[in-house]
Amino acid sequence: MYSERLDKRAFDELRHMEAEVGVVPNADGSARFKIGNTEAIAAVYGPQEVKPKHFERADRGIIICKYDMIPFSVSDRIKPGIDRRDMEISGVITNALSRAVMLEEFPKSMIAINVYITQADAGTRCASLTAASMACADAGLPMRDLVASVAGGKIGDSIVLDLTKDEEDLHEEGATDVPMGFLPSKNEVVLLQLDGKISQEDLKKILAIGKVGADKIYQMEKEALKRRFLDENKS
Amino acid sequence: MDYFKNYDVVTPGDLLSDEKHGGEGTYTEDKKIFSKYFGMLHVGDREMMVSPLTSVYEPHEGDDIVGQVIEVSSKYWVVDINAPYYTRLDARDLNFRAEINELDRYIQRGDYIYARVFRVYTGNHAADISMRGTRYAKLPSNLIVRINPMKIPRLIGKEGAMINAIKTGSGCDVIIGQNGIVWIDGDEDKKPLAIEAVELVQREYYNPNLAEKVRELFEHVQ
Repeated sequence: MYSERLDKRAFDELRHMEAEVGVVPNADGSARFKIGNTEAIAAVYGPQEVKPKHFERADRGIIICKYDMIPFSVSDRIKPGIDRRDMEISGVITNALSRAVMLEEFPKSMIAINVYITQADAGTRCASLTAASMACADAGLPMRDLVASVAGGKIGDSIVLDLTKDEEDLHEEGATDVPMGFLPSKNEVVLLQLDGKISQEDLKKILAIGKVGADKIYQMEKEALKRRFLDENKS
Repeated sequence: MDYFKNYDVVTPGDLLSDEKHGGEGTYTEDKKIFSKYFGMLHVGDREMMVSPLTSVYEPHEGDDIVGQVIEVSSKYWVVDINAPYYTRLDARDLNFRAEINELDRYIQRGDYIYARVFRVYTGNHAADISMRGTRYAKLPSNLIVRINPMKIPRLIGKEGAMINAIKTGSGCDVIIGQNGIVWIDGDEDKKPLAIEAVELVQREYYNPNLAEKVRELFEHVQ
């Protein structure tokens, strides 16, 4: 029975969030998103000529995303470079953003997105997706909506929002992790994965609390973008 | 009903209105108008427009641009003009007759050129450029500053007021490409001043007293 969370949060409470836009001066657009102890930095370059050339599509642009965890991001040093997990996450971020960015406006071009995890405490793919969507908006790309992403799950009998690494590792309770990505103002789901076992009713409950959490993240993203412009105006 | 006021800052996906027409920078879904960009809203009587705060360069016919040659072929040069696509400068679009197959006698790889966009292809915004005309030429290798193309109109100013102030104030020769590449030539000790002025404009493009600030910058030095 999981009656109280390890960090004393409410079951539907998000960790403390920070969002900032324009952190990489050399990129066309960039953003930093921090939720709890998980922090992602995203930089967007382009649209530009496609390299390698055979990836080119005549009817639309493409997104090439690189997700990487920095060696010191976790307590056991991880090997630098792209491994299989990084490739998978790059793929899901690309798919999710392809629903948001209007790629048909840039045929035969590519948008390069680099995401780095400087600190990891579960929910890195959600933090990456949120940061990447803010960076795309900062780069001036046409988008249908910003993407807000958060993980939900089930520990024991309780439905929880925004799991930490310690909670994911509670094996005797039976922890399930469901990363979700939304286009909040469109009410669309662009990312949905499942790690563990879940019943149909519980999945619906997780999606419902995930949507509420994503709306809060969405407000955070909007404020961060507006703050960039207003800060410039003040100084 | 309108959900935002004129000059509000909007983000992608914001519902703007469900009555008016959507202009540039917006898209329509279910007869409702949404913002497409992170930018500033302009409300008209019947139309709403969003202009992005930053953007990539989109070529238009007649633009004067600065580009860098990245490849020399037998009949044309491939030029990077800071847009999503590279462009071609054909050997026939010069002021003089160039010898085919010996194009690197005139312009080599890495050189910067000042040219004009004379054709834009519909559909994908690719362009062709030309160097016909007395004002266009190869630029001697010098200082290049890149700024966001959305801020170029501010750098030029009303009828060239801002750029003329920078030119006279710093004593440098400045050429502005509409694509966001600025070329600066002058005495070694005066160049940093011109760079600082250009970067000041890029940083504070929204400031109504910018002309005053630029003047102060030059007075401060003298």
